[in-house]
Amino acid sequence: MNAVPSDAPLGIGRERVYVWELPVRLVHWLLFFSILILAATGYYIGNPFFSGTLVMARIREVHLYTSIVFSLCVLVRVYWGFAGNRYARWSEFIPVTRERLRSLWKSTLFYTFLSREPVEYPGHNGLAGLTYAVIYGVYFVMIATGLALYQVYAPVGSPLHVFRFLIPFFGGLQIARLIHHIGMWVILIFMVAHLYFVILYSTIERTGIFDSILSGFKFMPRKPPVKP
Amino acid sequence: MAQTRLMRELERQGISRREFLTFCASMAAVLGMPKSASATIARAIETEERPILVWLEFQDCAGNTESFLRAGHPTVADLILDTISLNYHETLMAAAGTQAEDALESTVAKHKGKYIALVEGSIPADADSGYCMVGGRSALDIAREVCGNAAATVAVGTCATFGGLPAARPNPTRALSVADAVPGVKNLIHLSACPANAENITALIVYYLTVKRWPPLDQYRRPLFAYGTLIHDACERRAHFDSGQFVEEWGDEAHRHGYCLYRMGCKGPATSQNCPIVQWNSHTNWPIGCGHPCLGCAEPNFWDVMTPFYERLPNVAGVSASRWLDPVGLTASGAVAAAAVIHGIGEVRRYRRGHHRPPEDKGHADENKHESDSNEESRK
Ligand code: SF4
Ligand code: SF4
Repeated sequence: MNAVPSDAPLGIGRERVYVWELPVRLVHWLLFFSILILAATGYYIGNPFFSGTLVMARIREVHLYTSIVFSLCVLVRVYWGFAGNRYARWSEFIPVTRERLRSLWKSTLFYTFLSREPVEYPGHNGLAGLTYAVIYGVYFVMIATGLALYQVYAPVGSPLHVFRFLIPFFGGLQIARLIHHIGMWVILIFMVAHLYFVILYSTIERTGIFDSILSGFKFMPRKPPVKP
Repeated sequence: MAQTRLMRELERQGISRREFLTFCASMAAVLGMPKSASATIARAIETEERPILVWLEFQDCAGNTESFLRAGHPTVADLILDTISLNYHETLMAAAGTQAEDALESTVAKHKGKYIALVEGSIPADADSGYCMVGGRSALDIAREVCGNAAATVAVGTCATFGGLPAARPNPTRALSVADAVPGVKNLIHLSACPANAENITALIVYYLTVKRWPPLDQYRRPLFAYGTLIHDACERRAHFDSGQFVEEWGDEAHRHGYCLYRMGCKGPATSQNCPIVQWNSHTNWPIGCGHPCLGCAEPNFWDVMTPFYERLPNVAGVSASRWLDPVGLTASGAVAAAAVIHGIGEVRRYRRGHHRPPEDKGHADENKHESDSNEESRK
């Protein structure tokens, strides 16, 4: 058995695993940049702190076009949850199998210092997967509240008027606006935590997690075959 | 054409034909109809038999009645609406007491299925609660009987449409809208707003006279001619909004220059009504026009969801979200970053002490564990 300590340098005794397929990586970065733009422009819309010819109009425009990119990314990623490889499947996020539940339990113990064994698995560990499922839930809430807020401005004849049912659903536009604003902070807080865990894992595991979201490859310790 | 009662009445009041036609043209404008429609409207008003109207008041402030009367400024509209066929209206009718109640009873009996009921105010859900009794009968009873036998019902004002102020939390009388109090009521139409604009009430009735049915409605059963535009989209201050020019404080330089009231809590971006176009009090002005933000009075539950009136966002658990949400979000992000640093230091130290080994490497891990245990012991 060719056991490799997890801190062995990349490449030695490790195998290259193709984890993140192109759509996953593309969606990841488009989401990253669109969230930054949406948060910055959204913050201004909620709290316009400077003025200038048509600034509000332009910023709202950027916000609206970026929201289309964001929403398409979310939809593509959900589709890829059914069409992608095993690491992209929906079951990696919503733990229904016994392995995934075990992985959730083990990763929770690890993060809370109750266990010393990190979950070594090329894809998401149980807790990370579930967190992403929740954050995608938040994305959907953002899209829905955004559509509710936008549809009152949509031009006559726009198909987006079908979303007018969302206004009573959220209990009125003001409530939708409040949820939309809170959602921004939830996502920003998630981003801080996400960045931290990537740094943590790249420090202790050395599987190339940082580069993996560009290249798609992770370097996992060879053999025995890893289980989720 | 034989002189109708209406024309005789107009003549008696010294209202010229020209004024009458101007009125018809303005109604066509409010309804969003072409100018040519004003002739059709004039013909309908002159020749059609007036519909019989019954106006009920429940938990209200009579604000819609005031609006309807346009007390300070009698016009042709007043004549058309109140000299002709308003069979019952507590505030306006000369009769009182039993006489008044008899008028209502006989109208309902005689014109069953033919009259139009206009309702102002909300209705307490419990008939035995003792709230809002008229002539010894509960509002619920009266509403069910009168609206149930009407050809159509118009809920006038936000209280009748959505419950309004009486239904605001904690809703002590368990006030209901007409739609909720009289389930299955026929041809219900909503004219929300606090109060409903007289132009819209009049235009709605004129439309009904002319076309013989209700106009197209939005998702809250409000006529699109009056509720099809967002205040914000038709607002005269929109240019200031688009350029980020806002009033920051009452009476500041920006306020004096008529800048946008968005930061003062204007709910124009969340409210649909034709106030900017039709305006109030015979086109005198409208709230935003005189420097006050829109309160969102035409929207469901506005008293609960549009408050605080002078802030952008609703309160969360009684705390101002406009003031606290961003500082709290920023602090929480910082706290998560700080927690990450602490967590990271913990994880890395644990890892450096050699506690961290691949799980599949059983032998190694056990050995390691041993080692670390003894390490810990030796430290003690
Ligand atoms: S005053 Fe109100 S309705 Fe008018 S542009 Fe500003 S936010 Fe919109
Ligand atoms: S401006 Fe707003 S609050 Fe004022 S009457 Fe119109 S809808 Fe109601």
